[in-house]
Amino acid sequence: MGPRNRFIAIVAVVAIATGAWLSFKVMTPAALPLTATLLPAPGPLPEFSLLDHDGNAIGRGVFSGQWSLVFFGFTHCPDICPLTLQVLADARKQLADEGMDPLPRIVLVSVDPERDTPEILGQYVQYFGDDNLGITGELEEVRKLTGRLGIFFEKTATDGDNYSVDHSAVVLVINPRGQFHALFSAPHIARNFVHDLPLIMRGR
Amino acid sequence: MQLKFVILLSILGTACTLEQAPLVATDVSIKEPLPGMQMTAGYLSLTNNTSQLITIARVTSPQFGSVEMHESVVEDGMARMYPLGELTILAGKTVQFEPGGKHLMLMRPVGEFQSVTLEFHANKAVLLTVNVALSD
Repeated sequence: MGPRNRFIAIVAVVAIATGAWLSFKVMTPAALPLTATLLPAPGPLPEFSLLDHDGNAIGRGVFSGQWSLVFFGFTHCPDICPLTLQVLADARKQLADEGMDPLPRIVLVSVDPERDTPEILGQYVQYFGDDNLGITGELEEVRKLTGRLGIFFEKTATDGDNYSVDHSAVVLVINPRGQFHALFSAPHIARNFVHDLPLIMRGR
Repeated sequence: MQLKFVILLSILGTACTLEQAPLVATDVSIKEPLPGMQMTAGYLSLTNNTSQLITIARVTSPQFGSVEMHESVVEDGMARMYPLGELTILAGKTVQFEPGGKHLMLMRPVGEFQSVTLEFHANKAVLLTVNVALSD
C-alpha cells in the first residue's frame, strides 16, 4: 500500500468512526422513565397541619428542599406496608451504592392516625431507615392532604373488633419545590425505582 | 426370606408414612414483630397430599393472642386486605402464603419467644402443628 492509499484508508476509517459516533449520539433517544408516570404540570401540595414522628407540627413546607417518596399506609398492616417500605429502602440503598447524592427521603403518611401515634409511627418507619419520615395527626388534616392528591382510604372491618384500612397503593414523588411531580403504581419493585428516579430527579 | 419381607414392608411403610402426611407445611417464615408492633406476618406453603379437600377452619398459636388468615390484593390501585375465614385446599394442591398475597396475620404476642408454634385446625381436629424460629 503506497502512502497515498494509506492516507485514503485512514481518512475512510476516521470518517466511518465519526459517522458511527455521531449517529449514536443523535439517534439514541434520551432514557425515559419506564414505570413512573410524570405529571405534565407538577402542582403544589395543599396546606395541611399534621405531626412528624417526633410530634413536631408540620405543614407542606416539610417537603421543601429535597425529593421525597411518599407512601400512604399504616402500622397495623403486616404485609403490603412493610413490603413496600422495604422495596423503597432497598431501592434507596441501591441508589446510594450507585453514588446518588442527595438521596430521596422515604415518607409514610398514616391513613390510620387513630392507632398510629407519632411514637408508634416513628419506631415503624425508622426500622426501614434512619432518614425516613412518618406523618400522622388528625384524620381531617390527613384527608386534606390525601384528597387533593387523589389518594383514597377507608376503614374496613376484619375479624372481631380489629379493622384494616384499604388505601391507594401508589408511591408519590414530591420534588424539592414541594410539588407533586410523579407517581409509581403498584406492584412496587426496587429496580423500577432504581431505574426511574435518577431520570426523574435529573429532570428528564 | 420372611425376615427380608418384613424389613421390606416396614421400609415401605415408613416411606408411605412420610409421603402421606395429609397436610404438609414448607418454607415457613414468621418475621419478628417490628419494633413496638403487636403483630407480624407469617408465610408458608401448605400442601394437601390427600385425594380429598382439606379445609382449615382456623389457625392458632400459643405465642400469639390471635392468628388470622388474610389476603392482600391490589385492585384498581387500592391495597386491600381480606380476611379469608376458612381456607380450602384442593386434593393434591398447594396453597402459597407469600408477601403481597395470602398471609397469616399474627397479633398480640404473648411474652418473649424465639420460635413460634402454629396449629392448623379443621372444625374439631388439629390437622397440623409446625414450629419455626422467628426470622429477622
